Amino acid sequence: MEISTTDIKEKIIASLNIQDITAGQIADDAPLFGAGGLGLDSIDALELVVMLEKNFGIVIKDMEEGRPAFQSVATLAAFVNAKRSV
Amino acid sequence: MREPTPTTPPQVAIAGCGAISAVGCGVEALRSALRANASGLRTSERFNSPRFQSCIVGAVAEDFFEADENDPVYRLAAEALRQARDEAQTVLHSIPAARIGLVLATTKANIEALERISENRPCSDSARRHLQGNLLAADLAAEFGAGGKVQCVSAACVSGLSAIQQGAKIIQRGEADAVFVVGVDHLSAFVMAGFTAFKAIDPNGCRPFDAARSGLSPGEAGAAIILVRENFAPGSAIKIRGWGTSNDANHLTGPSRDGSGLALAIRIALNSAKLLPAEINYINAHGTGTPYNDAMESMALRAVFGEACPPFSGAKGMLGHTLGAAGVIETIVCVLALRDNFLPGTPRLNSPADGVPDSLVREPRLVAKLNHVLKLNTGFGGINGALILSHG
Amino acid sequence: MDKIVIAATSQVAEADLKLARLGSRFGRLDLMSQLALLAVEKLGVNFDSLPRERIAICLAARAGSLATDAEFWKGRDAAGGPSPTLFAYTLPSAAIGEIAIRHRLTGPNLCFVGDSRDVLAEAADLLRRGEADACVCVYCEVVSSAAAGMIQSTPTSNVSALFLQRDGAGQILPEEFDSDMESFCAKFRA
Repeated sequence: MEISTTDIKEKIIASLNIQDITAGQIADDAPLFGAGGLGLDSIDALELVVMLEKNFGIVIKDMEEGRPAFQSVATLAAFVNAKRSV
Repeated sequence: MREPTPTTPPQVAIAGCGAISAVGCGVEALRSALRANASGLRTSERFNSPRFQSCIVGAVAEDFFEADENDPVYRLAAEALRQARDEAQTVLHSIPAARIGLVLATTKANIEALERISENRPCSDSARRHLQGNLLAADLAAEFGAGGKVQCVSAACVSGLSAIQQGAKIIQRGEADAVFVVGVDHLSAFVMAGFTAFKAIDPNGCRPFDAARSGLSPGEAGAAIILVRENFAPGSAIKIRGWGTSNDANHLTGPSRDGSGLALAIRIALNSAKLLPAEINYINAHGTGTPYNDAMESMALRAVFGEACPPFSGAKGMLGHTLGAAGVIETIVCVLALRDNFLPGTPRLNSPADGVPDSLVREPRLVAKLNHVLKLNTGFGGINGALILSHG
Repeated sequence: MDKIVIAATSQVAEADLKLARLGSRFGRLDLMSQLALLAVEKLGVNFDSLPRERIAICLAARAGSLATDAEFWKGRDAAGGPSPTLFAYTLPSAAIGEIAIRHRLTGPNLCFVGDSRDVLAEAADLLRRGEADACVCVYCEVVSSAAAGMIQSTPTSNVSALFLQRDGAGQILPEEFDSDMESFCAKFRA
């Protein structure tokens, strides 16, 4: 079954204990890191790597490998679905 | 009973040192390793597991510890303090216990006990007690005859420098005539798991300031410096000349990219020591080997010293990152440099990275005279510390 | 000699967190850092009126970061490993970092493990020595049930804070004062 962008948003909110935003308020294409979007930082990136392994069994050994996937919720959902269909 | 703060605070001198680390037991072992530019980083079977990012660490020889050691931090701290107290025994002879304080620097205290309790493994009462840094400090003070003020400092990787500053202030305020400053942390699965979660460990062993560096190597050490009021020490004793601390106020675990926080700490230290940048003869850097730290430190050095950065080097390729012990054992490296007039090298360096000042010392060398040495450390929480030591 | 004054005091407990939202990262902070930030917020200090590099932070944590240490270690066998976010808070000085970041305080920091007896004295000394012109003093008693079990103590979660300043409005810091910061704060609020 395909993982939706809503699923990804909910997992991000849960693993980072984000209290002031709901899944519906996160745009699929908004940048996850840096200004203009969720404003996540380097520790959050590491926490999302843990989230991916815990929820989807996807292992990211090196943060550079994860960088393109972590651009936005849309890219992350695509990354997860690609890994799961292997 | 507190005496009124004197108008000109007394100078604080170093009367003795003690150390145990990956390069052996004793200050002589440290000195030999420095002269040989040796590295104590080795593979450790304890951490040879997919749970940990690397098993190359700066570990103390296994046979130093008891079989199934419950209380490694006490063991390390006591050894270092015993050595330091022996070196300073003539000086300490005339100082009553009530006038001797103790300041302990440690980031995790006896975290070994937390692991044992969580895993239902045997844990002695004293091991459990030493989970609390203040009780570890109190017990060290009791065993080694420090009947005065006792403090436990835990300021991340700046703990050691912070403890030395506290010791100096306690003496300057007239609360004690001597202070035992002890820095200790042991190589725990806890810390290894944490730095693994951070992906901050260099899988091949750290290479501070190297172009190919990619992380730190956790290490362990016990280190002790005995500070005394200047009138108790010979005139030639090395003095604490000044210090500075600051906070980056930028990010919890990443240093301020422009090095401005560390530069501020250095400037404060220079002002407190009444020295110009050009009067610093050697700098012992924090140099963890992470891409960010070493780049930031290079920028901070440039900001303060311009293109005239004094010779500098880092010891973590030799010892690993010894956390709470780092500020104390790396200050002992500075003491040895001052005593012997030599510049320590940077073990495990192959090729300096772009942006690192040219004055990076690769191999140790003798110099005519070292007068003033600057020691730097930075830590999680954005804390920066700088300490200046001078010849008597 | 300049007088050292207590410009403000505050005390917070875990129940006070229900209404707290201090920054977008607040949910990711550990309990001790959340309480420390809330206590500093309640001081109501206008940090804008002072040069930020002259404001120190002096903190003591009764049991260090043991509560967060236990929580971190509990997750060691989870898929993906223990939480990197939690690891960042397995140091009592992380709370100092959060206070510094939120209020952009770049001055000196002191961090002790144990009771509060040295917090005020060391803060006052920083001011007397001229290393700072003001100091945010924080005492954290944050001991979770897991941590309490390990050190044979009782669970607790409260933080007291105090703002010391050179001159300015406030009660003058007496020569001799309570080394127990919690009761000291309570007395000054009365």
